[in-house]
Amino acid sequence: MGQFLQFAINGLMAGSIYALIAIGIVAVYKATRVVNFAHGYLIMMGAYLYYQFAVLFPAAPWAPDWLQAWSPEWLVVAKADAPMFSPAAAFYGWLENIPRIIFGLLGSILGCAVLGTIIERTLMRPLLGQSQFSMIMITVGLVSVLAGLNGMIWTADAASVPHLVPNVPIRFSAFGTPIFIFGADLANMAIALILFGVITLWVRFSKAGIAIQATAEDQSTAYSMGISVPKVFGRAWILAAGTGAIAGSIIATRSGVSPSIGLFGFSVLAIVLMGGLDSFVGVLIAALCVGVLEAMVQWKLGGEWAAVSPYIAVLIVILIRPHGLFGQKEVERL
Amino acid sequence: MINGNLKSTYGADERVLNNRYKQLFVWLSAIVIAAIPLFANDYVVLVAAQIGIMLIAVVGVNVVIGYTGLLSLGHGGFVALGAYAVTLIHVWLNFLGVPAGIQPLIAIPGAMAVSAAIGFVVGLPSLRVKGVYLAVATLSANFIILFLIELDALAPWTGGRTGLTTVDPNLFGWVIDTQREVCALIGFMAFVSILLIQNLFRTRVGRAFIAIRERDYSAEILGISLFRYKLLSFAISAACCGLAGAMFAYFYARVLPEQFALLLSLQLVAALVVGGMGRTMGPVFGVLVIVLSPELLKLVFSAIAGTSAEAAQFRAPLQEIIFGLLIIGFIMFEPLGIAQIMDRLFRMLNRWPFARG
Repeated sequence: MGQFLQFAINGLMAGSIYALIAIGIVAVYKATRVVNFAHGYLIMMGAYLYYQFAVLFPAAPWAPDWLQAWSPEWLVVAKADAPMFSPAAAFYGWLENIPRIIFGLLGSILGCAVLGTIIERTLMRPLLGQSQFSMIMITVGLVSVLAGLNGMIWTADAASVPHLVPNVPIRFSAFGTPIFIFGADLANMAIALILFGVITLWVRFSKAGIAIQATAEDQSTAYSMGISVPKVFGRAWILAAGTGAIAGSIIATRSGVSPSIGLFGFSVLAIVLMGGLDSFVGVLIAALCVGVLEAMVQWKLGGEWAAVSPYIAVLIVILIRPHGLFGQKEVERL
Repeated sequence: MINGNLKSTYGADERVLNNRYKQLFVWLSAIVIAAIPLFANDYVVLVAAQIGIMLIAVVGVNVVIGYTGLLSLGHGGFVALGAYAVTLIHVWLNFLGVPAGIQPLIAIPGAMAVSAAIGFVVGLPSLRVKGVYLAVATLSANFIILFLIELDALAPWTGGRTGLTTVDPNLFGWVIDTQREVCALIGFMAFVSILLIQNLFRTRVGRAFIAIRERDYSAEILGISLFRYKLLSFAISAACCGLAGAMFAYFYARVLPEQFALLLSLQLVAALVVGGMGRTMGPVFGVLVIVLSPELLKLVFSAIAGTSAEAAQFRAPLQEIIFGLLIIGFIMFEPLGIAQIMDRLFRMLNRWPFARG
């Protein structure tokens, strides 16, 4: 039972990251009716930008010293006093890294937002009103462009980056089994869920969010009601790219930056279809379920089965409920 | 200048090659295909065989995407299935003591049948969903097939991550063991499969596929069973990909799981988009572009930057970017592909002094 709890918690933590990634796909789909196959690679760019701004730039010779490590005297003393591997040491280590974490996150979000805007302007807007096939194929082409760009700018090796929040290990025991959680994972989960909640509320209640909803319902009607549809498209892409940048940074802190982050996008795409393409709540539920499912599969069958379980799950869901668990059924007229 | 396409009998109108230009073109291409293994050097043979293998697969993908209008991103998985199936069937036939000379006659159709059967299963979601849902469903199927191939539990059969050593086919005592000989076999198969698939679209089945592409519900109202024809379309295209996989296994010394990664599926669809969907010559043009552009890049790159390791490290991502830009460029500026460009060119030549385009 204790072990079950441990894996369930791990699964929920992974699932909340999936949910954060999924926001981007759902937001773009709701506004523009484009399913973004390249979202995983956008996230990979976010992870690498975080690596660039939080690790490579601060280490550069022109960077000021406070960017590399913020070390006022009291912090140096406190850090030297703290015992190794204690929560306090982890906290002081994080405090030292704060400047470059903020710098990295800002760089990553801004960089991704610019990238998203460029993609929206040059690739998506000219194709307004084209068939779904063209849109899908454009994003498929984008997959390999982004992967290539990434390989050209950053040589493809895994590297580690500073955590967003202090990585304090948490230990307690339940049902007689010791349970071990990384504090950073728990905080990442909180970040992801809060962001998810804020964005869902924003889409539901703010003026810009209602414009997105109206555009999702019917583009030409939204246009005639005075909503600037191109602006909505731009906003959706920036939202997707920004959340993607944060998700990418979180993934980078969990497992290091590597080109394989891009493949995350495909399993998240499977999750999104499982939840229903146009439902934020459905996607959240699907993401948490798949996270837990993956953890359980990893526990019982081993790691290699875990990677493939979202795909098997989505095939089953699509066969039973073609538009996902919470998706709206599309009505087709002849 | 062709002013019309005069036919005096229905028979003449229904032929696959319904004018003399097409007949001439087919005979000429047959001669070129026959000439490559006989006279070309080793490098050309290698590239030609790669083109041939991919061509067979893309012809299959054309059936399902181009003619039936079902978007599949998972056909690389069927190529993998074909390659593994043909190797395993050879092993079993050896075990059963079947004479080596007739083994390929069982193994190649066997591999196609295995692929077709799995294609049938993968096609099942197409009955309920289409568009992006189907694309993700087939993509998932591709990941699952790759996963099963790499799975340790199946490693006694599939070799796991280390792959399988393939066999040299023996056709009635003719051991096809050099790349040149396999290239001849691949050329023959590619030629035959293009003609057979082209012939398919003169029949009831092919017309049903096209009707489904235009509007599936309307087709159903006209009495076309979506269940039967959508699955048949998947099975036929998977069989073509299985044939491509079998040729792949004969051509290379080993089959490895990473040779069939996601990139292969994307390449197959990209070749189709670049060449022109739902056109006979579309796959040919598309595969030529997709296979030859890396080779061309290699040539240009070694001329400019030399053959240093650094240049080679830069070339691989550049190749990926060009591949992506090809897809994006064709979708944005010429969605009907090179086949359409060639049409325009021929029309212009045909009417030359009088009109353009």
